[in-house]
Amino acid sequence: MKNNKVVAFASALIVAGSSAASIAPASAETVLKIAYQGPLTGPEAQTGTDGIRGVKLALKIYNAKKPKIKVEAYEGDDQGDDALGKTVGAGIAADPAVVGVLTAYSGPTIAALPSYKAAGIVIVSPSATRVGLTDPASPSYGAPVFHRIVSNDDLQGPALARTATTGVKNPTVFMVSDQSSYSEGLFASTKAALGTALEGSDKAAKGTTDFSATISKVKAAKANIVIYTGYYADGAKFLKQLRDKNFKGVFAAGDGVLNSEFPKLAGKRQSEGARLTAPIVPLEVASPKLTADFKKEFGAAPGVYTTEAFTATNMILEAITKGKTSRADILAYIKAIKYKNIAGVTVSFNEFGDLSGSGLMNSFVVKSGVIKLNGKA
Amino acid sequence: MDFSVLISEFPTLTVDGIALGFIYVLIALGYTMVYGVLRLINFANSEVFMLGTFASILVATQIFSYTLESEPLTGFKLVYTMLAMLLGAMIISGVVSVLVEIVAYRRLRAVTSNRLTSLISAIGVSIFLAEGVRILTSSAPMGAPRILDKITLTTVFGADIRIDILLVIIFAIILLVCLDLFVNKSRLGKGIRAVSMDYDTAKLMGININKVISTTFLIGGLGTGAAAFFYVTVYEVTVFRIGFELGIAAFTAAVLGGIGNIRGAFAGGLALGLIEMYSSAVFGTQWKSITAFVILVLVLLFRPNGIFGESLQQARV
Amino acid sequence: MAFNLRDFGANIWAKSNKWQRYLLALIFIIAAFSLPLLEKTFFNTPNTPFVSVLFYPIGLYTLMALGLNVVVGKSGLLDLGYVAFYAVGAYTAGLLGASLKLNTWEVMPLGIAFAMLSGLILGAAVLRLKGDYLAIVTLGFGEIIRITALNTPAIGASMGITNIANPPTTFGFKYDLDHPESYYWTILIMIIITIMAIRILSIRRPGRAWEAIRQDEDVAELMGVNIYKYKLWAFVFGAAVGGAAGVLFASESMFISPNIFKLEVSIFILAFVVFGGMGNIWGVILGAVLLSYIPERIRFISDARMLIFGLVLIIMMNLRPDGLLPRKKREKIKSDKKDS
Repeated sequence: MKNNKVVAFASALIVAGSSAASIAPASAETVLKIAYQGPLTGPEAQTGTDGIRGVKLALKIYNAKKPKIKVEAYEGDDQGDDALGKTVGAGIAADPAVVGVLTAYSGPTIAALPSYKAAGIVIVSPSATRVGLTDPASPSYGAPVFHRIVSNDDLQGPALARTATTGVKNPTVFMVSDQSSYSEGLFASTKAALGTALEGSDKAAKGTTDFSATISKVKAAKANIVIYTGYYADGAKFLKQLRDKNFKGVFAAGDGVLNSEFPKLAGKRQSEGARLTAPIVPLEVASPKLTADFKKEFGAAPGVYTTEAFTATNMILEAITKGKTSRADILAYIKAIKYKNIAGVTVSFNEFGDLSGSGLMNSFVVKSGVIKLNGKA
Repeated sequence: MDFSVLISEFPTLTVDGIALGFIYVLIALGYTMVYGVLRLINFANSEVFMLGTFASILVATQIFSYTLESEPLTGFKLVYTMLAMLLGAMIISGVVSVLVEIVAYRRLRAVTSNRLTSLISAIGVSIFLAEGVRILTSSAPMGAPRILDKITLTTVFGADIRIDILLVIIFAIILLVCLDLFVNKSRLGKGIRAVSMDYDTAKLMGININKVISTTFLIGGLGTGAAAFFYVTVYEVTVFRIGFELGIAAFTAAVLGGIGNIRGAFAGGLALGLIEMYSSAVFGTQWKSITAFVILVLVLLFRPNGIFGESLQQARV
Repeated sequence: MAFNLRDFGANIWAKSNKWQRYLLALIFIIAAFSLPLLEKTFFNTPNTPFVSVLFYPIGLYTLMALGLNVVVGKSGLLDLGYVAFYAVGAYTAGLLGASLKLNTWEVMPLGIAFAMLSGLILGAAVLRLKGDYLAIVTLGFGEIIRITALNTPAIGASMGITNIANPPTTFGFKYDLDHPESYYWTILIMIIITIMAIRILSIRRPGRAWEAIRQDEDVAELMGVNIYKYKLWAFVFGAAVGGAAGVLFASESMFISPNIFKLEVSIFILAFVVFGGMGNIWGVILGAVLLSYIPERIRFISDARMLIFGLVLIIMMNLRPDGLLPRKKREKIKSDKKDS
């Protein structure tokens, strides 16, 4: 049939044309790349977008100084999904121009670790908080490549427990996890810190639309505090339904929920007073000037891990500025780095990849649809 | 296993289960009616639902210019806005449903009797529509403005009856009654039943098969669109993936009740809604899908035509 | 007369004598093994290393498509939960490999055995159902496996299983990140073994029974075919292949978690089988290779990949409803006196 030949010819054209387009021109100057592996699309896309913008802002400032070695961003979209994290990580490791990578979510980071370890690429994560990544006893131990500039969930769990129960008489807590690897980790850590205050729990898989049964359990447990350890898209749905079913108690959540979209999706009235914890400093607080630059460059406000992504990128850029251009050199440099961040604090890593010294954990509260910093957690 | 929650919150769980169940019922209609006439699992119905939800929200935000921060409406404004959202969802879902039939299935009916081919075509449509919306929304969820304030009207046996829940239940019942009347009393409805019973004979008897099939897809689409409106009213959010997540459940409901007939969809949808609520309370929400599937398997093994199934086809060897 | 690739190929094969056939087969096999050389050509996949793409998704999905083909294509059993066997194989490798300290080759027969066992249990329970009911039940089964794995902390829950060992160095071939071609060649060998097994079964009694069941179950039963037994055979065979693929996947990936074994995987493999031409081994291979390769190749239109995939499915099914290489009208029978 003529149809088949047309189809075959058309597809051949498409493949040929696309291959022509993908043959890259040879470049004369050295261009290095810093990769960001995170949810650039998908339900968690806002977090990835906030992160990659932090990277791009740092790169813009660096490249504007007309350095000898230009550095570009490599966008690795894993959609927050473990399986994708593995393939995206393999692709990043296979690109010889990539000399350092920022990984956003814990699950995909773990999936991609084998590729990064084999290639010896340094990871400076702005947001992966799972404890196992820096725990030598854990199968997901990330050494020698993994580092993070945020405190891990061992610190966040107790902080979340404290933040949630402050000012509540006879705290009775109900906890909900979304069964993702991040959520389960934070859940365990928070549960341990709560002790007897924890009255009940439930697990509602990511993507759940109807939380009615969970809410009934909250009521049956007579809880006056609900702690959610998942991400913002589902957290917003859950909180909205909680409030619409006349739950008047405290709602608290971890850094997965800290996102500018959260109060919008949950509803202004419903999200009022929600308490959040996160190991981050908002860019508005850390540097008003950079925030202005950011807004001019991207036409939007900075987001959750923007400051951290910015700092992580700058650490790698510092290594490049000091003449380190190979993966091994940059990895060694980061291991020994003493970097002064925009808040004026000197940052360095311990032998497991965590920040040395006591960590940073901030608490936040939602007021009138805006997330505001509320002091240390 | 914890029965205490089930017992103490039974009324609330039941009301929630019924409300969710009616949404399942309406979506299940899209599957069950198409299966009745074509013996085809209409995979694309999940995206028909998804598009209906977006249509509903867009009516509120684009045509009426409400935003997530808008105050809920009252009085006459409330009524006509909700009607507009309902119509928007039903029209879009109905139209898409009919288009899907014409684009993806019609030609195959004439060319091959291999039902798997139509199934794969259906899957292709489903993927295409979901991905299309994903790209247009950059995978972000879309929130709906609160048009109807969620006031609690009354309390029955300790269960709060909210106005939106009540609306869903009443509307759904009205819709189902109309539909049942249509299928049983109208000429076109008789045509649909004839084709469900015996495709070839119906054709021989002079029934306009294409018209019947298009009508079936249209009705299924309208029902699914109504479900989309109710979904948006209650949950106030949608995302490109929503079709897939609810579609599997609705399809399970259709089979549970006895696929191919409307009363089956009704029974299956309500049953599934209740099963999900109760099992979540007893075992934990993470087990709710498994409970549904296990019950489905058991029902099919011991009562293969479903709860209400007429013998549409032999289910057992 | 339209150009029919399948008949073209079949004619060449029919006209060749024994030695020519061996030569043709050898050429094909050598060509397949040399595919990694295409890495430097325009066949290369941007963003993901070409040779590892040859293994996953192309090789693995082709192997699984062959397995599912026996169930769906040859026997006409609509299975929408094939990913369950893949998961059983992978989790067996992950769990038993670690606790019993077995390497990949040692755990492979166990993985296959467990997958076959689950195929047997599932099949025994549901194979009396017909057509679309079977489809739904198998879909449910696939989801039950995934959700159970997600909810069970003992097997890792959502965190999955990490640090699964790579296969040991065998016959001098190393299996690590620097040698992705070893995995590819291994899966190629598994594919070849599977093809041989299918051909042998097809020519003998099981194949005849499957063909009879596929064409008309009731008539087959009336003619004395024990359809229940042969359906079970098909199911278990398909499960074995799926399990083998799962074991190899786990040892290459080193990390598995429940959300890898989604319903979508079952649907894709089914799409490959139907797209390629159900019942026809070469059609299925072609379908699987094309449909898993093309999305990787066009990654640079990355966002629209799946959109195009859906479109391709719709167009292909409408233009060529019997698949790329439809099955022969009649399966070849081996007249085997001792077999009757």
